[in-house]
Amino acid sequence: MMGKRVNRLLWCVVTGLLVGLLVSFAGGSGMTAENVVKIGNIEPLSGPSAAVGLQGKNAREMAVEEINAAGGIKSLGGAKLVLIYADSESKPEKGVAEAERLINTEKVNVLTGCWNSAVTLPTTAVAERYGIPFIVPVSVNDKITEQGFKNVFRIAAKDSWWTRDQFVFLKDMEKEFNVKVKTVAFVYENGDWGKGFAGQWKELAKKGGYEVVLDEPYPSTSTDLSPVVQKIKRAEPDVLLLVSNAADAILLTNTLADYKVKLKAIIGSGGGHADPSFLKATGQNARYIFDLVEWETDVNKPGAKETNEKFKKRYGYNLAGESVDAYVAMYVLADALERAGSLEPAKIRKALAETNLTKGPGMIVAYNAVQFDKTGQNEHAALVMVQINDIGHGMERLTVWPKGARHAGYTPVFPMPQK
Amino acid sequence: MLYLLEDTINGILMGSIYGLTALGLTLIFGVLKVINFAHGSLLMVGMYVAYWAVALTGLHPYLALILVVPVMYLFGYYLQDIVIKPIFKAEREVREPITVIIVTTGLWYILDNVTLLLFGPHYRTIQANPLRGKMLELGGMLISVPKLWGFVTALITAASIYWFLQRTRLGRAIRATSLDRDAASLMGIKQYKVYNIAFGIGTATAGIAGVTLVPFYNVFPSVGVLFDIKGFIIVVLGGLGSMGGALLGGMIVGVIESVGPQFMAATWTEAIVYGLFLLFLFVKPSGLFGVRYDW
Amino acid sequence: MKQERLQVLSLLPVVVIAFGLPLVLRSPTYLHIIILLYFYAYLTTSWNLVGGFAGVLPLGHAAFVGIGAYTSTVLSLQYGISPWLGMIIGGVLATIVGIIIGLPTFKMRGAYFALATIAFAEGFRVIVENIDYLGPFNLNGPRGLEISPLNVGLTNLMFNSKEPYYYIILVMLGGVLALTYLISRSKLGYYLQAGGEEPEAAMSLGVNVARCKLIAMAMSSFLTALAGTFYAQFTLYIHPKSVISLDLSFEIAFIALIGGRGSIAGPILGALLLRPVSDLSRIYFGSTLPGLHLVIFGIVLILVMIYQPRGLQEPLTRAYHKLLERLAVRPAVGV
Repeated sequence: MMGKRVNRLLWCVVTGLLVGLLVSFAGGSGMTAENVVKIGNIEPLSGPSAAVGLQGKNAREMAVEEINAAGGIKSLGGAKLVLIYADSESKPEKGVAEAERLINTEKVNVLTGCWNSAVTLPTTAVAERYGIPFIVPVSVNDKITEQGFKNVFRIAAKDSWWTRDQFVFLKDMEKEFNVKVKTVAFVYENGDWGKGFAGQWKELAKKGGYEVVLDEPYPSTSTDLSPVVQKIKRAEPDVLLLVSNAADAILLTNTLADYKVKLKAIIGSGGGHADPSFLKATGQNARYIFDLVEWETDVNKPGAKETNEKFKKRYGYNLAGESVDAYVAMYVLADALERAGSLEPAKIRKALAETNLTKGPGMIVAYNAVQFDKTGQNEHAALVMVQINDIGHGMERLTVWPKGARHAGYTPVFPMPQK
Repeated sequence: MLYLLEDTINGILMGSIYGLTALGLTLIFGVLKVINFAHGSLLMVGMYVAYWAVALTGLHPYLALILVVPVMYLFGYYLQDIVIKPIFKAEREVREPITVIIVTTGLWYILDNVTLLLFGPHYRTIQANPLRGKMLELGGMLISVPKLWGFVTALITAASIYWFLQRTRLGRAIRATSLDRDAASLMGIKQYKVYNIAFGIGTATAGIAGVTLVPFYNVFPSVGVLFDIKGFIIVVLGGLGSMGGALLGGMIVGVIESVGPQFMAATWTEAIVYGLFLLFLFVKPSGLFGVRYDW
Repeated sequence: MKQERLQVLSLLPVVVIAFGLPLVLRSPTYLHIIILLYFYAYLTTSWNLVGGFAGVLPLGHAAFVGIGAYTSTVLSLQYGISPWLGMIIGGVLATIVGIIIGLPTFKMRGAYFALATIAFAEGFRVIVENIDYLGPFNLNGPRGLEISPLNVGLTNLMFNSKEPYYYIILVMLGGVLALTYLISRSKLGYYLQAGGEEPEAAMSLGVNVARCKLIAMAMSSFLTALAGTFYAQFTLYIHPKSVISLDLSFEIAFIALIGGRGSIAGPILGALLLRPVSDLSRIYFGSTLPGLHLVIFGIVLILVMIYQPRGLQEPLTRAYHKLLERLAVRPAVGV
C-alpha cells in the first residue's frame, strides 16, 4: 500500500526534477543583465581534485569582486564581471560537455580552466572551434599551447620550463655551496603530469651529467608508500625529484621521515607539495624540502602580502602558485576587456594577444609582465624555488631562487643536515 | 636478504590492516550474500568519526575506539534495517539479490558526497598523536609502530569475531543463516535481525580499521574508494566468511604491494594483485579457507 | 485495429521525431547532450544482451569501450586506417576478449562474476596506464591520445558540426534496438532467458546454456567496442581513466538496471531518465554544492531499487500495453 503512494511520489519527484531542471537549463541565458561580462570557469569541484578546484574558485571570486568594486570595465560602461562555474569532475568528457554548454547556452564571453591538463586539452579544442577566448591559468602540459590554436592563452609556465628550472637550480646550488651532486632519483605520480616531467628529467639528467639511480612511477592513490620509500633509501641518491599530488605528497614526506632516508636535497614540483594542507599534515617532516612553484607568499612584490592576508582571512589558507595564477588571470582579462572595449570574441582575443600587463593589483606574481607569445604562452612566466624551513615563525615556505628573489636575510640550507 | 625481510614484514603489517578493513566485508558478504560496495565509504565514516574523536578530545587514537565501535555498530545496524532490508523483503524469491548491490552503490555515492559537502575536500591528519612516525629498530630494519598496533588490533579483532561466531548463541545463529537462510529461519532464527546484527558488526569493524589508519594516513571524503576494491579482492582470496582468511588474504596483498616494487615499478603491483585475484576466481573461488557454498 | 499493428504505428512518431530533431533543434549544446544520451542508451542496450538477457551482472564493460576506442585511434593515428575499419577491427578484438573473459567467468555465481568483470576491467586499465608501447603500437599511457580535427569527412568519421554525429549514433542505436528485439523473439532469446533464471532446468532440457551466454557476450562486447570508436571520434581525446573507467562500467550497468534490464525499452528509458538527472543536477548544483548531484543520483538509485526493482520500464510498459488494448478494442465502434 505504502509502496504505491511512494511510487507515485517517486514519479512526481523525478518528473518534477527533470522538468524543473530542463526549464532552468533552457532559460539559463535568459537572465542577461545588459552590462555584464560572463566568464565561464571549468574546474574540478568534486572528485579527487576538488580541493584545488576550490582554491581556484576562491581566487577568482576575490579578484572579480575587487575588479567590480573598482568600477568594473569602464570601456564597457562599467560592466561587471560575472563568474559562472562548471564542475568538470576532473573528467575530460564532462569538461567538453560543460564547455559546449557554457558557450552555447550560457553564452559566456570567455572561458577559463581546467586545472587537470587532461581536461584542458580537449576543452580548449572546443573553445577554438567556436572562437571563444580561453585563458588557462594553471595547466602546465606543453601541448596546450602547441596545438596551433589562436584562442588559447596560458598564464602558467610550460612544464618543460619547470623541469629546466629544477635542474638549473640544482647546478646553482652546487656552485653556491660547493657541493657535488652525482646521483638523482625520480619518483613521480603515474598520471600524465608525472610521466611528462619524468620524460624531460631523463634528458636533463643526461645533459647535466647526473646518474639516474631510480626512476619510479607510483600510483597517486596508493594506500602505502613505504615500498617506494624503501626503494629510494636503498638506491641512495643524492637528490630526489618528486611530482606528487597532495595526498601522496603528504604520505611520501611522512614516510621518508619515518624511515630516516638520508638525502642531500628533495625537490618538489609544486602541485601536492604546494597544497595548503601539506604543511599542516607534515609539520617537521617537511623541513628543508625545496619546491618549485609559480609564486610564494614572501615574494618581493608590492601588494603581495596584503592580498595574501586578505585571502587568508577570507578563506583560511594562503594563496599558492595556482590560486595566484587564477587571480592574475582575472586581472589580465579585465585589462584586455578595457582595451577591447567590446564583447566580440575576436576583439577580446586580439586584446588578449596584445597584453602587456606590468602593473595593477593583479601583478603580485613573481615576474614583471604578462605577455603572450604567438602560441598564447605567457613568455615571462617564471618560477621560484622555495625551501620549507622554520626561522622562528613556524614552518613556512621561503623563496630561495632565483637569487634575486631570495627571501631577505635567509640562506638556503643545502645539503640537508643529516638528522 | 635483509631488505626482503624488512619489506615482507611491512607487507604483513600493512596487509593485516587491509585484512582488518575486509573483515567486516567478508562477514557481510558471507551472511547476506551481498557485495557491499559502500564498504569503503563505511571505512571512511569510521575514519572521520575517529578523527573527530581524537581531534576534539586529544585522546590517544586507540582510546577513541570506545566511541567509534558503538557508534559504527549502530550506524550499520540501522543502515541495514532501514535501507537494505526492504529490498531483501521485496526480493525474497531471488537467490542473489542484485538490486542490493545497486543500493549499496547508491549508499556509497551518498556517504562520500555528503561527507564532501559537510567537511570539504581537505586532507586531514592528526599531527600530534603519540603514534605518529614512531619506528621500531630491529636488527637494522625499521618497523612502523602504528602499523604494528594495527597488526595487533587486526589479530585481536579477527580472533574476537571468530570466537563470537563459534562460541556464542548469536554467533551460531549468524553462521546458520549464512549457510542456509531458509533452514535457519525454520529453526526460529529471525533472519532480518541476524542481517542487522551482522551488518552492525561489519560496520563496527570498518570503524576499528579506521582507527588503525588514522594515526598515519590521510583522512578525506574519497579515501574509502582506495580500500573498496582491495577489500573484495581480499575477501575472495581469503574465502567468504572466514576471518582468518580475510587477514591472510590481506597479508598476501600487502606483501605483494611491499615486496613487488623491489622487482618492478610500483605501478605494476596493482596489475599483479588483479591477476592473482582472477587466478583465484578461476581456480579456487572459495578462496583459501572458504567453505563451498551452494547458493 | 490489431494491437500489433498499433504497436508498429506507435513507433512511427518516435522515429520521425528522432530523425527530425536536428532540423528543429539547432543548439549545439542540446545536440551534444542528446548525442551523449544516445551513446549511453546504445551502451546500455548492448550491455543488456549479457546483463539483461543472460542474467548476469557484468560490471566491467568499459573495458570493451576502451578496446574499441584505442584500436581505432591507434590504427588511424599511426597507420592512417579509416576509423570505420578500425571500428570493426576493434569490435572483433573486443569479441575475442569477451569470449576469453566469458569462458571461465560464466561458471561463477552472480556476485563472483561481477567481481571478476571488475577485476578484468581494472587490470586492463592499469596495464594501459602503465605501458606506452604495446609492440609497435603507441598507446601513450596516461597521457592519452589526441585526435586532431583536421581530416573532416565521412571516411574519417570526423565532422565539424554535431548533426552527422547525431545521425550516426542514432542509426547505431536503432540497429542495436532492432537486434535486441529480434533476439528476444528468437530461440536464442528464449534459451538465454531460461538459462538465466533456472540454468539447471534449462540444461536438463538440452539447452546449451554456456554457449548461449557466450554468444550473448560476444555480441555485446562487439557492439560496445563500436561505441568506443564513436566516442573517440566524437570527443577527440581518450585516456585510460576516461574510457576504461570503473565509473563508466557502473553507470552503464546501473542505468540498465534502473530502466529495467532484460527488457528492450528498459535500458533506453533508464538512459533517458537518469542521464539528464545526473547531468542537470551537476550543472545546477555542481558549483554551489559540489558532489550534491552524486548524492541525488545515489538517492534515486536507492529509491528506484526499493520500489521498482524490475526497473522503471515496468509500470510504463504496463500502461502502454493497456492503452494499446483499449485502442485495439475500439474497431467495433467506428473505424
